[in-house]
Amino acid sequence: MYKAVVIGGSAGSFQVITKILNSLPKNFPLPVLLSLHRLKHVRSGFVEALSIKSKIPIVEPYDKETIKPGKGYLAPSNYHMYVELNKRIALSTEEPVNHSRPSIDLTFETAAQAYRDKIIGIILSGANRDGAYGLKKLKQLGGTAIVQDPEECQVRTMTEASLKLTAVDHIFTTQQIINFLLKLK
Amino acid sequence: MNRYEIGIVDTRNIIKTLQDVYDYDFKNYALTFFKRRVERSIQKHSLRDAAAFIKKITQEKDFFEIFLQEMCVDTTEMFRDPSVWRLLNEEMLTELISNKPNFKIWFPEASSGEELFSLAIVLKKINLLNNVKFVVSSLSEKNIEKIQNGAFDPKKIETNDVNFKRIYSDANLSDFYTLKSDEAHWDTSLIENTKFIKQNIIFDDYPKGVKLILFRNKMIYFNQILQERFIKIIYNSLVPGGHLIIGNNEQIDYWNSDKDYTVVNKSESIYKKKLS
Repeated sequence: MYKAVVIGGSAGSFQVITKILNSLPKNFPLPVLLSLHRLKHVRSGFVEALSIKSKIPIVEPYDKETIKPGKGYLAPSNYHMYVELNKRIALSTEEPVNHSRPSIDLTFETAAQAYRDKIIGIILSGANRDGAYGLKKLKQLGGTAIVQDPEECQVRTMTEASLKLTAVDHIFTTQQIINFLLKLK
Repeated sequence: MNRYEIGIVDTRNIIKTLQDVYDYDFKNYALTFFKRRVERSIQKHSLRDAAAFIKKITQEKDFFEIFLQEMCVDTTEMFRDPSVWRLLNEEMLTELISNKPNFKIWFPEASSGEELFSLAIVLKKINLLNNVKFVVSSLSEKNIEKIQNGAFDPKKIETNDVNFKRIYSDANLSDFYTLKSDEAHWDTSLIENTKFIKQNIIFDDYPKGVKLILFRNKMIYFNQILQERFIKIIYNSLVPGGHLIIGNNEQIDYWNSDKDYTVVNKSESIYKKKLS
């Protein structure tokens, strides 16, 4: 019944993200949208690092690329990544939000508008408050909200900010997130 | 942080209003982008909601002009993606422009003027600025005035300097601007040879005989229909052998690019129009 997964992460999320991606099967039935804070001047290397052991292909999408299941879409450095209602990626150089471009809030909010109740949003470790508002929107529009257990996070600010704003569906460890995703059909 | 939000229906109503009242057709802008720009405007001008926005923009022509300026995304930076500028500076521009007076360069959908001033500075440093003629087109008259007087946000100085140093480690960007109290201005002699065009969304009157087009991160605000329309205009505007530079994550694959262009540099998205 779900149509997409959207994941936001910042400081301390890289290992969690790779662990999740590496666990997904090649025929994972949903697209995975990744909005991760990253160095602005380092354009290459990140998608390659995420791809090393991932069985699903990970790309930095082109603007207006059609979103397809079984593929990971990483927000390119120094761009916001939106989801259009027709399920295409749209990129933007509008002002940073919460000092961030890409902004996790904006990816979550637009993805939630496009997928309504058919989306899972996951907030991971991070050192600022980005993502909290986006996760709230996602939950309001009927999506399933998951936050990484702050106890497990390297930096817990981001997950705690999300929990403060939203009554989430699940607080999960990395392994529980993986188990949850693997049960999806 | 709370943002004011409007619905999709409101967004479509606003698009229709602008079409009916001003004959500006925004329906082929990327919807998420257009919606966000309206929300930003509603918040900035302390309007109550979408209905208040519609009322104000219908009644006040000047507010419409302000909105057009707000549609221009001016939040990028000078020398965005230093690697492409390094490439232009080190070989490409000298090879293209040397001994060719009146080399015409077009900046469609100019917003901040940052691409214009960046290129002008690169050309100045290799003594080729006098060989070129710039054409700058923008949706907004107010925005054109802003570019013409060289104003920019002093908050950007730090980012701009960092980018500049990645290209010119032994020079200072401050040679090209003045900073007085909290106002910053580019040296407008950099853009003396510039023709400004106020464009509508559909523009029939575009420059011809252009040899280089800088069109980075502008098409991302359009949907596929408007992108394809622009792609045709760009192609017709360029001379055979003319060059096109688009943004890193913009694509031309679906516009039959193999037939029309050769790839000069894939990672920096530089293309050359085929001779026939």
